[in-house]
Amino acid sequence: MHPIFRLVNRNLTISLNMGFVIWQVIFPVIYIFVAGFAYTALIHNVPFGQKSLNYPAFIASGMIGFNIMNSTLISGIIIWNDRRHGMFEQILVGPFTRAQYILSNVYTIGIIGLVSAGLITAIGYPIFFKSVEFSVLTVPLVVFASMTGAILFGSIASIISTRLKSSEGFNVVINTVFLFFAFVSTAFYPAQGAPPILATAFYLNPLTYLVDVVRAGIFGTLLIW
Amino acid sequence: MLCIEAKSLFRSYGNVTAVDGIDLSVESGKIFGFLGPNGAGKTTTMKLLTTLIPPSSGTMTILGIDASRHPLDVRKKIGVVLQQPSYEPTLTVEKSLEKYGMMWDVDVKTRKERVEELLTAFDLQDIRKKKNDDISIGQRRRVQVAREFMHDMDLLFLDEPTAGLDPSARRGLLDYIKGKVRDGLTIFFTTHILEEAEYLCDEIAIINRGKIIAVDTPDELKNKFGREKTIKIRIGETQKEISGILQGIGNYDIFRDEGTVITIHSADSEQVLVKILQALQSNDIPIEDLSVVPTSLEEIFLTVVKNSNASNISSGK
Repeated sequence: MHPIFRLVNRNLTISLNMGFVIWQVIFPVIYIFVAGFAYTALIHNVPFGQKSLNYPAFIASGMIGFNIMNSTLISGIIIWNDRRHGMFEQILVGPFTRAQYILSNVYTIGIIGLVSAGLITAIGYPIFFKSVEFSVLTVPLVVFASMTGAILFGSIASIISTRLKSSEGFNVVINTVFLFFAFVSTAFYPAQGAPPILATAFYLNPLTYLVDVVRAGIFGTLLIW
Repeated sequence: MLCIEAKSLFRSYGNVTAVDGIDLSVESGKIFGFLGPNGAGKTTTMKLLTTLIPPSSGTMTILGIDASRHPLDVRKKIGVVLQQPSYEPTLTVEKSLEKYGMMWDVDVKTRKERVEELLTAFDLQDIRKKKNDDISIGQRRRVQVAREFMHDMDLLFLDEPTAGLDPSARRGLLDYIKGKVRDGLTIFFTTHILEEAEYLCDEIAIINRGKIIAVDTPDELKNKFGREKTIKIRIGETQKEISGILQGIGNYDIFRDEGTVITIHSADSEQVLVKILQALQSNDIPIEDLSVVPTSLEEIFLTVVKNSNASNISSGK
C-alpha cells in the first residue's frame, strides 16, 4: 500500500471514534430540526436565486457546508495530537516524507468532509426534498466544492495547530476562528437583507461560497448563482 | 562491516554548537552505547543519524546509504525509539501495535503474529485492551518500545528506552534487545543508567559539549580510565584513631564514613590491602566486612567528563 494511504488509514482510525460521529450527527440535527423549525415562526421563506425556500430547507442545506467545515477541524486535531503526543516526530523518523504526512492529512480531510456532507444530505433530505433539483452537472460541482472547502478549512485548522503551543490556546483560537466562519456566513441566514457591512463580511468568508455552491447545487440554481 | 559511519558531523542552532565535528563508526551486529551528560549532544546526534534533522556539515553513511542525500531510504531500514513519549491516546495497546505494523506495510498475518509475540515479551497482555491514555507512563514506554519491533529493520536507535521502567521491565527489555542483537540487529543506544550500558554495550562513546571524548569497549575504558579499585572495609567498634594507624601505608585516599567504614581508592590495591590488614591486625581492630570493587563505568564516565570539562576551562572554551 502506498505510504500516503497507510497514513490515511491510521488518521481515520485514530480520529473516528463514537464521540466524533455523535458530534457530527447530533450538532447539525439540532440545528436542522430544532432551530430550523423554531425559526419558522420568524422566517417563513428565504429567497435563493429564482426560488423561495422554506427556512428548514434553507438551514438544512446550509448545514452541509457547515458540517464539512466542522468535520475538517479533525485535521487540526490530528496534527495537534501528533505534536502533543510525540507521533509527529515518530512518523517523520519512519518510512514517510513530510509531504506524504501533509498529503495524508489532506486526503483524510477530503474523505471526512465528503462523508460528512453525504451524512447531512441524507439527514436533511426529508426537509428539502420538495425543492431538490439535482442534475448531472451540479452533483460533480457540489462534490468538488465540498472537497475544496474541506481542504481549505482543514488547512486553516492545520496551520493553527502547528503555530500554537498550548492546548488552551489551540482550543480558544480554533473555536473563535470557526465561530466567526460559522456565523458570519450564509449557512444560517441569507446575505440579502443583512446590514451592508455584515453582508460584505459574509462574502469575505470562504464558508459562504462553500454553502452557496452546495445550496445552489441542491436546488438547481447553480448557473444563476 | 560498518553500519554507521559519520565523519566531521557538525550541527549548530544559531550560535549554539550542539554537535561539534564528531566521528563515529559503529559495526554491524553490535550494541553501541552513546553516553553523555544532559545537553552534551546525544539527542541531537540521534536526530542527525535518524535523518530527522540535517547536519550543518559533515557526512553520514547509514547502512551503506548516504543519509544526507537519501534520508528516506535510510528511514525505511531503521527503527527509532525517541526519548520523548509517542503514542496515540485513543488507541488500545493492541491496536497501537497493529496500526504501527500497518504503517510500516507489514502484512496482516505477520502483524497478528508479532502483536501476540510482543504483547507477551513486553508483559502487555493484561493491558492489551486498555487505551494508551489510560495506562501508566512506564506501561506506555513499554508499548512504545515494543511497537518498534513490529517491523523489520537492520539498525535500531534507542534513546533512553528504559526511562520510566521498573527494574524488572528494564531487565526484560535489555534481555529482549540482547536477543535481537544475536539475530543480527545493530543497536545505537543512549542511556543515563551506566549499569545498563555496561550490561548491554559492546562499545561505548562518551560525548561532552558536542565532542566525542572517549570511544572504546567498556573493558578498555576501564583499563584506560579506571585502573583504580575501591577497597571498602567495615571495622568493629574501636576507640583507636584509624587515620593514625593507616598513616604512611601508601599513596591513597582514606574516607571515613559514619566512623566505621573506610573507603580507599588505589591503583595498587593488592599491596595496599595487605598493608591495611596488617596494620588493623597489629592494632587489634576487628574487620566486620571487606570488599574490593573494580571502578564502575559510572566512575569512569564522571572522570572522563570531569577531565574534559577541566581541559575546556583551561583552554578557555
